[in-house]
Amino acid sequence: MKEITKKIQEIAARLFAEDKIDIFLAWAQQGEHEFHTNSYVARSAEDVKNIVFNEYSIYNVSNSLLKFRDSQERIGIAVKGCDSRGIVRLLEDLQIKRDRLYIVGIPCPGLKDPLAAARNYGGFSRKEEEGLAWKCLDCIQPNPVIYDELVGTEQTPRQQGDRFAKVKELEQMSADERYKFWEDTISSCIRCYACRQVCVACDCRTCIFDEMKPQWVGRENSTSDNMMYHLVKHAHMAGRCIECGECERVCPVNIPLMLLNKKLIQDVGLLYGGPEAGMQYVEGSKPPLSVYRENDPDDFL
Amino acid sequence: MKVLSKDKLSTALNKLSDSAEVFVPMQKGKQSGYFTWKSFEEGQDELMLEALNVYQSPKNAVFPQTERIYGIASQGVEVNIDKTYEDTSANIIFGARGCDVKGIMAMDLAFLTKGYEDSLYKARRSANTIIANACYEPGPNCFCNAMEVNCVEPAGADVILHDVGDGYGWEVKSDKGEAVTALLADILEEKEVKLPAIKPFIQNVDYSGVAEKLKDMFDHPLWDKLAEPCVNCGMCTYVCPSCYCFDIQVKMWGEQGYRFRTWDSCMFEEYSREAGGGNPRGASKERFRQRFLHKLQFFKERYGTPLCTGCGRCMIVCPTDINIVRIIDAVKEAEINA
Ligand code: SF4
Ligand code: SF4
Ligand code: SF4
Ligand code: SF4
Ligand code: SF4
Repeated sequence: MKEITKKIQEIAARLFAEDKIDIFLAWAQQGEHEFHTNSYVARSAEDVKNIVFNEYSIYNVSNSLLKFRDSQERIGIAVKGCDSRGIVRLLEDLQIKRDRLYIVGIPCPGLKDPLAAARNYGGFSRKEEEGLAWKCLDCIQPNPVIYDELVGTEQTPRQQGDRFAKVKELEQMSADERYKFWEDTISSCIRCYACRQVCVACDCRTCIFDEMKPQWVGRENSTSDNMMYHLVKHAHMAGRCIECGECERVCPVNIPLMLLNKKLIQDVGLLYGGPEAGMQYVEGSKPPLSVYRENDPDDFL
Repeated sequence: MKVLSKDKLSTALNKLSDSAEVFVPMQKGKQSGYFTWKSFEEGQDELMLEALNVYQSPKNAVFPQTERIYGIASQGVEVNIDKTYEDTSANIIFGARGCDVKGIMAMDLAFLTKGYEDSLYKARRSANTIIANACYEPGPNCFCNAMEVNCVEPAGADVILHDVGDGYGWEVKSDKGEAVTALLADILEEKEVKLPAIKPFIQNVDYSGVAEKLKDMFDHPLWDKLAEPCVNCGMCTYVCPSCYCFDIQVKMWGEQGYRFRTWDSCMFEEYSREAGGGNPRGASKERFRQRFLHKLQFFKERYGTPLCTGCGRCMIVCPTDINIVRIIDAVKEAEINA
């Protein structure tokens, strides 16, 4: 990883020197512990030395692009497989232009969750295992799908067995059992919206949950309002979630959000086929369910 | 000293639960926080009194995330309040750490002083007893000592537990404390105990002068840098034991409904949005700055104590590794050029 860090730093330095970029998005470590690694914006050749790629560089940096969607900077960005799919999401959603980006791809060896490490270090609650983050164990696309330059060697996907096994387990339940399962799970959501804020696919300028006139979804911390939140949030993810797993990773109450996303990925795949969200970028292409036509054959529109 | 032997813990919690909701630190499935002892499921949940702390603070016990204020019944143009909700049923927080007790003390200041009393909060709080759990071994993120908290003798606790190995020394601090002690008269034992020595704090935080210095730092460029990674989720505010902002909203089904309040977060765009659509804190950085100025400057100016209690939670949950200790340090180091 030291090698990769060095190479990213070199590329970023070169891009600054050649005046090809104004900022470079990657990760940096703050403080003494490696798990204090997070998203970082290098603004000059000076800053480049702070960039790291270590075993905690798990944050999906494509999300950081949203902060720059309205400005003009030319942006260098380092991405893992999942992050690169986030870039495809933003390109398809017309949130950023391809020619503003110089993408450095990193085939990802699988990383650890800095939040789990921070919890363990802080002595809060029970000790957790600190192997590869589960989202990395479940990864189907460690290699970047879009890039201008690649750093490191190709990795093989780590996902094993039936990807939708858990979804199928739930599908086997009776409707009542399933309702009970989600009721129990979702009633503990504290509506902090971290799952929305870290989500690159949540790129709406004004989120439906922040609308006040009218207020579409109640803000009560109750099972029904919580369920509405999750139904709506996830319905908006159908065909758009790029499976980066960030939402579930950051959730402070461990809601199994990926179970919902996986169900949608499975169903959208069955209904529409084609490549999964963010797996390839073809200019002008749109994900399923993102196209509106007046002559839609379904009459519910 | 009176001692609650650890093997009588569940008996004591059962006893207290006869007359009150008792909130205890628990690992409940995948969640970690304060939950009622009545909801404890043997074999599934785990009592976390021995852990340094739990993820969610006990503020829910006195300031629930969502609570109803009054019911509404309307008839044509006439709107009537047909019911008010004030909860005066007894509740006990059992095993709160000093930082979390301080969180409630801070909420007391905000909700009960300076000529304004929040009746919902007052009702709950007057029926609330705090049994604190003294800290003899601060954790790596703890810095309550820098935020005016005595982690062994937290001010505001009604009873303080002192872990002495096979039991808890039971130190009564107030009349409310006496009352819960009376409930446990035949469970508590009188014993000689030796209190442990306090281990030193691992973090070294210096808050002195920070509130004063911040007065001149509203427009300081440091906020741009510090706020850059923050994604404005509300996690840090929701796990914080002292964040007390709320919003008041209404639910109506035809002619019937109720008004309720629910936690809100200064990190949300919608929090500071005005009725006309303007937003004085429209930018992410402005919301970020608000949170830390409120914690470190504004509250101190108004109430004489910081609103951060040093529990270290926000830096454990933050998805982008924002760390209030690093912010305090950065403020200390910052140069102010006029
Ligand atoms: S991150 Fe978790 S607790 Fe927060 S809103 Fe999302 S699901 Fe709810
Ligand atoms: S819904 Fe979750 S997994 Fe999907 S893109 Fe958003 S953060 Fe990533
Ligand atoms: S911050 Fe202080 S009171 Fe809180 S857990 Fe740490 S040592 Fe105890
Ligand atoms: S500081 Fe961290 S936890 Fe708080 S709003 Fe920002 S990103 Fe979320
Ligand atoms: S600001 Fe952070 S450290 Fe301070 S009391 Fe709140 S959660 Fe704890």
